[in-house]
Amino acid sequence: MLATILAGLRARAARLVLSSLAIALGVAFVTGTQVLGAALDANARDGLARHARNVDARITVDAAEPGQSTLVSPETLAAVRRAPEVAAADGRAYREVPLLDGAGKAVPAVAVALETDQRLRTADPVQGHLPTGPTEIAMQDRTAATRGLTVGQQVTLLGTDDQPRTFTLVGTYQQALTRSSLYTSDQVLLLPEALAAFADQPGFTEVVAVAAAGVSQEQLVRALSAVATQPGVAVTTGAAYTQQLLDTFGSQAGQITYILTGFALVALVVAALVIYNTFTILVAQRTRELALLRCVGADRGQVFRAVLAEAVAMGLVAALFGLGGGVGVSALLQLSLGAFGGAAVPAVRTPVSLTTVLTALGVGVLVTVLAAVLPARRATRVPPVAAMRGQPDSSGEVARTSGWRVAAALLLALAGAGALVLGGRINNETSITVTGAGTMLVLCAAVTLGPLLVGPVNRVLGALPALLLGVPAKLAAANAGRNPRRTAATMAALMIGVTVVSMVNVVATSAKATVDAEIDQQLPADYTITSSLYDRALPTALADQLAALDEVATAAPTRTGDIRVDGAAENAAGHLWLMGVGDGVIGTLVRPETATGQLGSLGPDELAISEQAAKRTGLAVGSTVPAVAVSTESQGDGPRRDLRVVAVYRDASGLGDALVGMDTFTGLHPEQTGYDSIMVKLADGVSPQAGRAAVERVTAATPIARIDSAAETKAELGGQLDQLLAFVWALVGLAVVIALFGITNTLTLSVLERTRESALLRALGLTRGQLRLMLVVEAVLMALMGSVLGLVLGIGCGWVMTESLSSAQTQMLFTVPYGQTGVLLLGAVVAAVLSSALPARRAARSSVVAAMATA
Amino acid sequence: MSAVVSQLGTRTAVAARDLVKVYGKGDTAVRALAGVSVSFAAGEFTAIMGPSGSGKSTLMHCLAGLDTVDGGSVHIGDTDITHLGDRELTRLRRDRIGFVFQAFNLLPTLTARQNILLGLELAGRKADQAWLDTIVDTLGLRERLDHRPTELSGGQQQRVACARALVARPDVVFADEPTGNLDSRSGAEVLDFLRMSVRRLNQTVIMVTHDPVAASYADRVVLIADGALAGEITQPTADSVLAALAHLGA
Repeated sequence: MLATILAGLRARAARLVLSSLAIALGVAFVTGTQVLGAALDANARDGLARHARNVDARITVDAAEPGQSTLVSPETLAAVRRAPEVAAADGRAYREVPLLDGAGKAVPAVAVALETDQRLRTADPVQGHLPTGPTEIAMQDRTAATRGLTVGQQVTLLGTDDQPRTFTLVGTYQQALTRSSLYTSDQVLLLPEALAAFADQPGFTEVVAVAAAGVSQEQLVRALSAVATQPGVAVTTGAAYTQQLLDTFGSQAGQITYILTGFALVALVVAALVIYNTFTILVAQRTRELALLRCVGADRGQVFRAVLAEAVAMGLVAALFGLGGGVGVSALLQLSLGAFGGAAVPAVRTPVSLTTVLTALGVGVLVTVLAAVLPARRATRVPPVAAMRGQPDSSGEVARTSGWRVAAALLLALAGAGALVLGGRINNETSITVTGAGTMLVLCAAVTLGPLLVGPVNRVLGALPALLLGVPAKLAAANAGRNPRRTAATMAALMIGVTVVSMVNVVATSAKATVDAEIDQQLPADYTITSSLYDRALPTALADQLAALDEVATAAPTRTGDIRVDGAAENAAGHLWLMGVGDGVIGTLVRPETATGQLGSLGPDELAISEQAAKRTGLAVGSTVPAVAVSTESQGDGPRRDLRVVAVYRDASGLGDALVGMDTFTGLHPEQTGYDSIMVKLADGVSPQAGRAAVERVTAATPIARIDSAAETKAELGGQLDQLLAFVWALVGLAVVIALFGITNTLTLSVLERTRESALLRALGLTRGQLRLMLVVEAVLMALMGSVLGLVLGIGCGWVMTESLSSAQTQMLFTVPYGQTGVLLLGAVVAAVLSSALPARRAARSSVVAAMATA
Repeated sequence: MSAVVSQLGTRTAVAARDLVKVYGKGDTAVRALAGVSVSFAAGEFTAIMGPSGSGKSTLMHCLAGLDTVDGGSVHIGDTDITHLGDRELTRLRRDRIGFVFQAFNLLPTLTARQNILLGLELAGRKADQAWLDTIVDTLGLRERLDHRPTELSGGQQQRVACARALVARPDVVFADEPTGNLDSRSGAEVLDFLRMSVRRLNQTVIMVTHDPVAASYADRVVLIADGALAGEITQPTADSVLAALAHLGA
């Protein structure tokens, strides 16, 4: 039997290549994900290891009393340095220090103190050298590249007094590529004394020490515990520190790999469909051969095992190729992640562990075998007598099982829709898993129902080409519909990819449309001036200067801060995020939709509250509530005031939990001297250009001031949306590519099966071009079926999601991105034409007489 | 053995002159047709007969423009088809030739009616309804027009193929073992129809067969052996054909 299987594999190798590619791609994705994860882990470990390198003891403040600093004091460092057991000690500190960009505007950056001792340094210089004097600065290579700065140039940082300080860039340094490389802000390195100028509080996040010769880590810790008398300090050994770093890292690991694995799963499901189809077709084509095997004495089990053995062999070979491809994919991903910041790319790592290899092979073989089980079972049902009959047309009978199919599909669809609704309602990380599962269930329902859908959908879609292109298109439609199971499995592969993309697309677009509408409706300011640094407020003088401009009708400042109501206990429910607004602003520049009560202007100690916050705190119009200000800076409670609720408004992003007049706010938060934002409404008849120029003139002197217009805010949202979609597209793209391989595969096998039919058509007067056209139209029909069903499902799921995300307070605007949907359909058609090129060429090339002769 | 066989006084529908067809190259080359010259009069029912491997199917393929030739020429009507490109050949087959094959004559995705009209549709021509009715009624297919091939018997399938071959009124109908897969009664029905189409409708039919009984329906039998013409019989009977074949050593 083994000889028969091997001979069969050799004979059919060409027919298996395409479907093997599908599996190989899926496995490549899985392997790539794993290798990338391992590489990032290794890089991160290296990065962490640098922090613990040569450290024998570490001192931190672990148990600070309320109101006390969490920093290790300079006195403690000095005491540590004096200890005879210490060879060297350094304080590590960082501050958020604004960096002025080319246009003189502040951008957030982090300044890190350079360790004085060579052994304790964590940065590796790339260019130039690390700072040696108080006016020298080094910059992370990524930061230097994005800011367009080179060694020797001047770099300006913004002090706490908003005064610029200039440094000379003497070098760039590199940090290991870690998961956080994607999101960390710009980073610079200063001498500790230079950094001290930017700190309002002296001290270090940690003090690290190197032991003197002959002193063990434990001895050092004992000695330092005696020396460091600052309250709340903890001293640990370097070994414990290393372990702690690795533990923290382990607990936060996995985000990227988790998401990638999800997409790898989609790719594998799609690949499985392609394999299923291949084996179904191959079994149908080999009916006579299998029957002959039965005739000469093979029993059903042997036939079953023969087909499965073929699948195992194919899965194994494909998985090996996929493994190799995956390592390449991971290397490419690392290069592109590295290139993200435009800096020199660190060494690409491709750690391949035994687990990775076993997973790749296991997944490849398992998916292939699972996909081949049903076709293999079908193979066992071939009766020996079939060897004597002619080759039957391998059309599937669907009607027999349609009742069960509909019932199963309905159940799956209901479960899926339920999961989608649930996913929209849940407000935590499990939401994405539940939503994903819901989408998968709906897709399963569609796949189950697929063979029944092919007929009607094909008739509708096939009508137009038949009208335009005549007989070849009619024949193509008939061919696409002749074997509903095969067509269903082929199009399902594409459907899955399109569903995921269009669902994400609809939800993202709807979210953006909703926020856009809110911005237009509730914050109708022409410009909003905010601080580009979250911990630095705008100077109050700026509001006056803006208000004094002729071009400006109103300049309304706002402040925000936390309060606790009802003398409630220390729980989150009692906290309100309060926004203070000036007189005459409500109804003009701030227009919340009132639910109950009157919201004209807010008098002293009057409070307007959002519906959600009202529900949470149990407040209603008319209630009076004692409120305590909660300050972020000092740990204790601020002033108290009794506030009276005058209105409840519908929730809106950007308005906080509650609104009060500016005077009331200042009473609660007297420590706030600046403004969070200043909303600007231009005077009537002032052009946007003139208005903007005037506003820019006034804000030029304030580096932290950033001008946002509603239009810009929307554009920014749009940009973020596009990035998200591009990411999803790139990931789903692979599944789509596999699906297109599936179309090529099905067509190629169908062309082989229909050799005589094609020959007959050619004999009857179908030209080569028409034969090619017929196959192209068939491919386009299959692709369109997949995309159209995918779009319907994706948009449907998107609708369910937006509905479930909508609450009574915020109604999500369900928005379909028609332009992108159109592009998607067009792309599917073009891709289908491409994927039919090879099979069509092959069909058209064969000679009529030779094709007629084949049995 | 390259005498031109023709009947004076009638128009020639198909003519081959010194037809050569070689398969393979060098030492393995096989001359399937070694200079065959033969012509077929319009309105005549001709059977091409010969032992297995004699070249009779190759001759038909070359005459019908399904296969290329390595020497000589083939005329259909006044057209020399030897030098036509694939596109012209396809158009010629579509517009001027009808085919009935031994098996696999019909597209499984189309109904009987659609199969019959396929050639006309490809040519973008309308069917002559009266003519279509005549053919359909003569062949007794009226009740089966909306059935797919899998729902038809072998004889019915072959009759649908005949209807398709005739509906466009082609210059010539080529039939390749049209009764090879049929029982004798269904076979007789198909042959009766082909003969009737020649007698009553003045159709030209060229049929390849190895069955002396089938050949006896023809007006003339052309015998082929080893790629060359080996004689002919006019007004054949099953016995005379059998005798001629025996003479060839078949």
